[in-house]
Amino acid sequence: MKTFICLAILLICQITASAQIFRGKSEATTITFFSKSPLEDITATNSKGTIMMNTTTGDVQALVTMLYFRFKKPLMEEHFNENYVESDKYPACVFKGKIADKPDLSKDGDYKVTVTGQFTLHGVTRDVSMEGTITRKGDVITISSKFKIRIADYNIRVPSLYVQNIAEVVDVTVSSEMAPFVKK
Amino acid sequence: MLKHFLALFVFILPFAGWSQEDLLGMVSDSAKKAPSRKVYATFKTTRVVSAQTIETVRKRNLDFRITHRFGNLYNNTLPNALNDAAHKFFGMDNISDVRLSFDYGITDDITVGIGRSKYREMYDGTFKWRFLTQRENNSVPVSVCFYGNVGYTSMTTDNLYAGVIRPKTNEAHRFQYLSQFIIARKFSKRLSLELLPTYVHRNFIKQQVNTRNGKEDQNDLFSLGIGGRIKLSPRFALVADYFYNFSDFQRNNPAGFYNPLSVGVEIETGGHVFHVNFCNSTAILESSMLTSTQDTWKSGQIKLGFNISRWFVL
Repeated sequence: MKTFICLAILLICQITASAQIFRGKSEATTITFFSKSPLEDITATNSKGTIMMNTTTGDVQALVTMLYFRFKKPLMEEHFNENYVESDKYPACVFKGKIADKPDLSKDGDYKVTVTGQFTLHGVTRDVSMEGTITRKGDVITISSKFKIRIADYNIRVPSLYVQNIAEVVDVTVSSEMAPFVKK
Repeated sequence: MLKHFLALFVFILPFAGWSQEDLLGMVSDSAKKAPSRKVYATFKTTRVVSAQTIETVRKRNLDFRITHRFGNLYNNTLPNALNDAAHKFFGMDNISDVRLSFDYGITDDITVGIGRSKYREMYDGTFKWRFLTQRENNSVPVSVCFYGNVGYTSMTTDNLYAGVIRPKTNEAHRFQYLSQFIIARKFSKRLSLELLPTYVHRNFIKQQVNTRNGKEDQNDLFSLGIGGRIKLSPRFALVADYFYNFSDFQRNNPAGFYNPLSVGVEIETGGHVFHVNFCNSTAILESSMLTSTQDTWKSGQIKLGFNISRWFVL
């Protein structure tokens, strides 16, 4: 009987524990990058990213399919996929990291955090660290982060002719509203 | 005791599993995979060199094109060919044809355009409709376009009827038409090929006979074109096209009619696409080109040409 109660408690623990995994809602997750240069400002938005977070362990992982970036000019989108990020060879960029000095995310509140981990883009993996905020209100977690990517770090070459059109460092903005993830 | 140990193990297990868990692996694949898209960039611009491609101008974009053909580089049928080439600066002093055009994308698949060519002072209106687009998963293996154009020559009445007993003047005599299906496939990132079954109709032609076989020139002409592009680097490609004319009048004609062959290099720079090319055809508008190519590669009657395309987003 004791064992049974013990197992029952454990089972409940497991269920509550599984509610610590959050996933960005597909309609409320956007990844935007912005390149500012003397000749041209380029913005592209991707609203089909997958972002996952475990509030217990502090794991944060994201996968963004390059083909879902939308640009103002269709020709830019074509060039982005074909000449720069080579989406056919490298279809997605992936981030796998952990929240450093993780606050207690089970309580409501605003938290400033630093996430460190590995970022893979255009087949190149690098250690990165980015700052962001996490806001928890009940079962809804909102995250946002702004960070910079030096495109040369990821082997993305800009021909000298376009140095004036494309920034060396692009600003990336991530924002997502996350809800508890239930594995099907 | 063993039971308790087991219970502890069960308790630890989920946490142990999470210390380095694959969160992304929990999400079904369909959410992460790229969609099966329409194949893009089969060609980079609306022309291979002389032939049309299945590419259209994107919706609400305007494509301004300058297409230029110089004179013959060389002509070994002349008695002093080298001097002639130097005299004409390898054709650079002459302009065989130049065409300015504007093409506008009504939708991503329908393009309309206007143009004007120097050769026979031809104004033209063009229409292109891509009604089938190749898909990456091969559910649609090829892209298919209909392309048509109407040419109107603004030559003076005297010139239009020069060399013939003047018939009753008729505006309709100034028109010529071309209809074409374009079937293209992007075989790989590097190679795209297309076929162009083509029909040309000219309302008015001068009576000409091929003295070798007695065949007369016809108002109608069928032709089959083939075109291709080999991409060598992200911004650099080789392009070529060739038309085979099904014309008994043109074949083996002592007056010299030939099938047009054009080869070139394609350089892409952002919103511009440049072609530098060589071809034996004189005219640029297809309905003129197929019916009037009287120069041949064999005699060095090759023309340097260039196509420049600039896209504007309206």
